[in-house]
Amino acid sequence: MKKIILAAAAILSLTSVSQAQETIRIATEGAYAPWNFLDDAGKPAGFEIELGNAICEKAALTCEFIINDWDSIIPNLLAGNYDVIMAGMSITDERLETIDFTQNYFPPDPSKFVATTGKAIDPSALEGKRVGVQGSTIQAAYAQENLAGNNTIVSFGTADQAMADLAAGNLDTILADAAYLEPVVTASGGTLEFVGEDILIGDGVGAGVRKDEAELKGKFDTAITALKADGTLDTLIAKWFEGRGPYFAE
Amino acid sequence: MTDDIAYWFSYLTNGKHLTWYASFQFTIFAALAGGTLAVVFGLIGATLKNSRFFPLRLIGTTYSSIVRGVPDVLFFLFFPLAFEQAVEWLVATQVCSPEAIAVQTAAWPPCKEANWFLGTPEYLILASVSLGLVYGAFATNVIHGALRSVPHGQLEAARAYGMSAAQVLWRVHIRQMWVYALPGLSNVWMLIVKATSLLSLLQIADIVLWADRLGAPNFLPTVGLVHEDWRWRYYLVLFVFYILVTLISEKAFNAIMRRAGRGILSEAQ
Amino acid sequence: MERFIQELALFAPAVLFNIYFAAASIPIGFVLAIGLALGKASSNPWLSRPSRAFVYAFRGSPLFIQFFMFYSLALSFNVSLWKPWGVSWFVLHPLFIGPLVLTLNTGAYTAEIFYGALRAVPRGEVEAARAYGMSRAQQFRQVIWPNLIRLAWPAYTNEVVFLFHATAIVYFALPVIGLQKDLMITAKELFERDYNAFLHFSVAALYFLAVSLVVFFLFGLVYQRLMRHMPAPPRMRFQPKWIR
Repeated sequence: MKKIILAAAAILSLTSVSQAQETIRIATEGAYAPWNFLDDAGKPAGFEIELGNAICEKAALTCEFIINDWDSIIPNLLAGNYDVIMAGMSITDERLETIDFTQNYFPPDPSKFVATTGKAIDPSALEGKRVGVQGSTIQAAYAQENLAGNNTIVSFGTADQAMADLAAGNLDTILADAAYLEPVVTASGGTLEFVGEDILIGDGVGAGVRKDEAELKGKFDTAITALKADGTLDTLIAKWFEGRGPYFAE
Repeated sequence: MTDDIAYWFSYLTNGKHLTWYASFQFTIFAALAGGTLAVVFGLIGATLKNSRFFPLRLIGTTYSSIVRGVPDVLFFLFFPLAFEQAVEWLVATQVCSPEAIAVQTAAWPPCKEANWFLGTPEYLILASVSLGLVYGAFATNVIHGALRSVPHGQLEAARAYGMSAAQVLWRVHIRQMWVYALPGLSNVWMLIVKATSLLSLLQIADIVLWADRLGAPNFLPTVGLVHEDWRWRYYLVLFVFYILVTLISEKAFNAIMRRAGRGILSEAQ
Repeated sequence: MERFIQELALFAPAVLFNIYFAAASIPIGFVLAIGLALGKASSNPWLSRPSRAFVYAFRGSPLFIQFFMFYSLALSFNVSLWKPWGVSWFVLHPLFIGPLVLTLNTGAYTAEIFYGALRAVPRGEVEAARAYGMSRAQQFRQVIWPNLIRLAWPAYTNEVVFLFHATAIVYFALPVIGLQKDLMITAKELFERDYNAFLHFSVAALYFLAVSLVVFFLFGLVYQRLMRHMPAPPRMRFQPKWIR
């Protein structure tokens, strides 16, 4: 009986491992437009999806995008459910303890406070305010450390849920990536505005890989270098983030 | 007016919505597979609980009381993770060479070859098994009680006909048990149906995940229709869906109970 | 072993949130359930139909969906209602809306239990009470209610245990405020850090099991008190059933 189980388990794992070597699975959140989102066809789309496909083309890999919740995206990478994370994830020392990152494909970007226009929020002297963040992000860590004393920090599963609460007036302000917020603020037609000073945290956005995947990381790094050099990356950034870049032009 | 209808029709049938409608298959599959497995585990559990051999009886009793003493969500999250790690460990003992283990820098798995990829189909099966295990513990209790409700005379008559213990169990005891078990099993089924709403916690893109993604406010025209927070409308649809499933299940179980109860005098009717 | 004890200490504040959610919703749910059960049994269709529909809707749909739906619904009334009334700061707080949904939910389940017990109250006793000329309120207080609660108590104990288990999904559906985390979120976050499912989930399970046992014990004491007129008071055992 034990042998049968082992044999079955071995076959199961071998088949899935061999499949995995053919296709590289890239996890994304699918709720962080314009970085990554689910389009009207119900498929992953956005800056990182186009970039991921470009990287895979350069590196001659077959890639497939998988949707995974943000808060379990690192554990499920470690569990081996996919090989790469491309989900607007900033490179931080804390994350580098558990996973590796490729070189950044988006330069270090400030975090910003956003509020409903006319609320007169001053982030440098926040007191008794409700600050929304997405859970397990660098902004969540920052807010918990620096703002939790006098304010209420509310963490949400996705950034969109936080935006819904801000729009409904349940939050005074949200702290998030500038590159996520800028298109939203522009599209809001003046109902949302940035307040206060930018906060510099994180070392840019890179693709996360497991620490034992040096070969895959190498392929991705080479491809990203090439895409930076030939201007593809700058083109993609300009396409999805209005008025940003070029960052990597020689 | 007609333009409006056409507009909303095309919005509600875009690819994103179609994917949502298609994702109902995961929920239905998990409910049916989980329900079947719950009955199987329930039969096994009840047989163990009825066993004359003490250790088996102990296993049956422990299974049904521990699992019921813990929230279903906890077991639902824990079982697939634990199962995956157990399989990887088993595989690792067979395929990992000492060199491969030495090279491995990550905490888990022991070596790269032992890694087991879990995608949606695998998670769906694991989720069904874990629903089966959790609610099998409840079914164990139901079936155990039902087995004791079968009139003693029936079993004695079967024995008097010279049937072996196994024959008595399978041909008479378990067949007559169903009538007494059905009301309890219908309750267990309703629990399983409701528990299928948890599938998104295992990263299955199920109806709940799509309801959240479709309803979340959108500000960017490049992404799709710009709209405010519509989540409660989508959740209302799911709310009604589950109530309808409950209603249909109830009707179906009543019909089955009426049929199964024919010719048997019991309080179960 | 030392790690295990550390872990137990780590979860101690978290269990308070689960206990709070259950303790805040059970008493109100109990009162709501009495009303709903009487409403359901009422001969007035304006009372019985809504009660029936309420009980059916809340028992027929998953609590998980109810949480999502009510949070999002409450959010959409924030600007028009809660803000002008000045109640915005607590209406959308998980520590309020969590127990609110749980109350509605347990109210429905408990109402079904009470309704079943109500129909099982011996008719003869009610008729005797009427023959004595008792008013309807007197009949309820002196004859129906004492019978009902004794009949319903074991099933109600089950419901309380399952409601406590149901508190595990509150924070899967609602936003987390600051460091207010319950057992499941604590276990999940610890798991996400070191990937040790066996340790973290087992400790959370132990807490749930322990509180369940305490509930059974306390409710068993109440049951013995309720049944003290019996020659041999029946004892309640740890026996979670399939009621929910």
